[in-house]
Amino acid sequence: MERTFTNFLSALRGADIRVSVAETLDAMETARLMGWSDRQSLHDALAMALAKTPEEKTGFTRIFDEFFAFESFHDRRDGEETEENEQADGGDLLAKLEAGDRAALALAMQEAAVEVGVENIRFFTQRGLYTQRVLQQMGVEGVDAQIQAMGGQGGGGSAGQALQESRAWLFEQVRNYVEQQLSLQGAATSQELREDRLRRSRLGNLDRRDREQMRRIVEKICRRLVALHSRRRKMKNRGQLDIRRTMRRNYGNDGVLFELEWKKRKLDRPRVMAICDVSGSVASVARFLLQFLYELHELLHDIRSFAFSGYLIEVSEHFKDNIADEAADKVMQKVGYMPTDYGESLTNFRESFLADVDRNTTIIFLGDARSNNTDPRAEYLKEMHERCKRLIWLNPEPPPLWGTGDSEMRRYRPYCDLLRECNTLNHLERVVNDLLETAQRAA
Amino acid sequence: MTPEQLEKLESIERVREGYAELGYICSRQIATAIYVAGHLGKPVLVEGPAGVGKTELANTTAAYLDLPLIRLQCYEGLDESKALYEWRYAKQLLYTQILRDKLGEVLGEAQGIKESMDRLHAHADVFFSERFLAPRPLLKALREPGGAVLLIDEVDKSDHEFEAFLLEILSEFQVSIPELGTIKAERRPVVFLTSNNTREMSDALKRRCLHLYVPFPDARLEREIIQARIPEIPRNLKYQLVSFVQQVRELDLKKHPSVSESIDWARVLLLLHADELEADMVRETLNVFLKFEEDIQSVDADLYGFTRQAKKADGARA
Repeated sequence: MERTFTNFLSALRGADIRVSVAETLDAMETARLMGWSDRQSLHDALAMALAKTPEEKTGFTRIFDEFFAFESFHDRRDGEETEENEQADGGDLLAKLEAGDRAALALAMQEAAVEVGVENIRFFTQRGLYTQRVLQQMGVEGVDAQIQAMGGQGGGGSAGQALQESRAWLFEQVRNYVEQQLSLQGAATSQELREDRLRRSRLGNLDRRDREQMRRIVEKICRRLVALHSRRRKMKNRGQLDIRRTMRRNYGNDGVLFELEWKKRKLDRPRVMAICDVSGSVASVARFLLQFLYELHELLHDIRSFAFSGYLIEVSEHFKDNIADEAADKVMQKVGYMPTDYGESLTNFRESFLADVDRNTTIIFLGDARSNNTDPRAEYLKEMHERCKRLIWLNPEPPPLWGTGDSEMRRYRPYCDLLRECNTLNHLERVVNDLLETAQRAA
Repeated sequence: MTPEQLEKLESIERVREGYAELGYICSRQIATAIYVAGHLGKPVLVEGPAGVGKTELANTTAAYLDLPLIRLQCYEGLDESKALYEWRYAKQLLYTQILRDKLGEVLGEAQGIKESMDRLHAHADVFFSERFLAPRPLLKALREPGGAVLLIDEVDKSDHEFEAFLLEILSEFQVSIPELGTIKAERRPVVFLTSNNTREMSDALKRRCLHLYVPFPDARLEREIIQARIPEIPRNLKYQLVSFVQQVRELDLKKHPSVSESIDWARVLLLLHADELEADMVRETLNVFLKFEEDIQSVDADLYGFTRQAKKADGARA
């Protein structure tokens, strides 16, 4: 039973449901409590212990149905025939084939599969290998020899024909079973491969279906960025008696300490202003950058975001009310795909929002600095840089291209506290690491 | 859990019936969650849209198991001194002042600073004893002798730090107070955490909890809920109202009407002596379950269609 259970869990993991060891133990306890008789209750209870978001619940239901549909058959016949099957040899298999005892055959197949270790199958190309191994384990050679012998006796007759058909049927069954295992187990490995690929591929090339995966990686990265900010606040968050000020204040009461003074907590709220280029030149990565902004919104309370191409507008509202994709769509509709004008956009920002930038603000600029030969207005960026705590610029272009053509990166560069190339998730992660380092040095 | 409480949780059916008697109609999933949580002693993280009865679930559980309900409302900036315990500094200081005269007696004829300090030390712990401890909800729940239902409401509103701080309580049912040592729960409280999903909870927290997702109820369940809450409602009206609300939930709105709001609406309609949904009356009472002007406008546009549909839904049944 435990083996079945572990297989089930690894199938779940393959389907993107994260199951920890602690949850495994919980699930086993839950299963013991609920018993195996009531399918629906077992499903509900296990779903509670293992799947912890609505998406995971859907995935869980699918895997549960797929997995236990087959296994239930196994359970029913468990006790009776195990002994017999341990000594499975050709003759045994032959007898079963001839008798057409499909239940017994299925059972034998499962036993053989466990022996061979089919649950280790990971790749599509291993299908044939594992099918052969399972067949061998079941003792298919004996059957083949029999078929040959029958053929040798001249024509074989209907018995040989029937046996040959049964063998073909068996082969079919085993291959189906192996494929099913592949679809359950193989996903686990390909998951890791996929994550690795995602991290390295260019943001513009990412597929729609990879979004969910990407969202998770971005979320991880954002979380670290936020942790960097909150560290200071945590230290200040402790209430402590301020002895000196308490004494001073109570001089009037003849030194009797009636009124207490607390060490004032200074809430060091991180304020982030993110400014994102969504023009045609960065169209391929704009969606990703917006995604990044969206995640930041989920994690930080005091964040405002702006998007620009020809001009600049505030888009914080869209991120608050919508889910990621819709938010990105709305922003793109409003300001997307126009030719960029950095000068104009910076002017807009300066007029409307510069007043809100203070020493606690971190400005994150996402863009390629390609301004279509308009006046870049670098002095406005300088002003922003002077007012804020830190200005981070993430450029989707590789460094050799900075300053070529209509790129104004070289002129903006002096005013960036941190300037990095950023067009894969790995880059983004490195940026966050750099940030952590500089922050620790400053602290 | 006492034997009586365990008996009340003996089967999923029993839980459902028991809750129904208290006016809380639960789906099979919810009943399973309570059953499993009760037997395994695990906290339950309840997620779902606002107003589907997450908080009410904890209230009802407290009533059903006959346990006190201890509630901790989470908000940004909540920290352990408000959630767990605090020393009553003012009281401590006041006591030192009042007892100043007694110091002479305590010190007696002690010679020199060292001896005096030793004598004082013998009494030092008095000031960090339970007498000066102000327990906050979490500590209260742990120390409740008969067990308790602990409701940590809207945990998604709290900070990440606080979430991490909850971990010890949720997995071990104990807290460490530096001055007193570790306080362990005498009887494990039944813990509910509710979340409106304004942010994702951390994996560490989720790992320690059973996860229950409560969606908006389907039409049948919602009718049962309304029936349980307002038994005197005419059958026609109940069917039509639920059908209407269910249709409204299909729309893209800023805020969908919650179950509690559809109950309120039913009460209002009853007060207006309505036997059936009429478009005009619906229009006048939209503000009972829609709280944004934009939402009211977008429902208003489809009002006649919805009302007709609602009546048809009833007609098909009758």
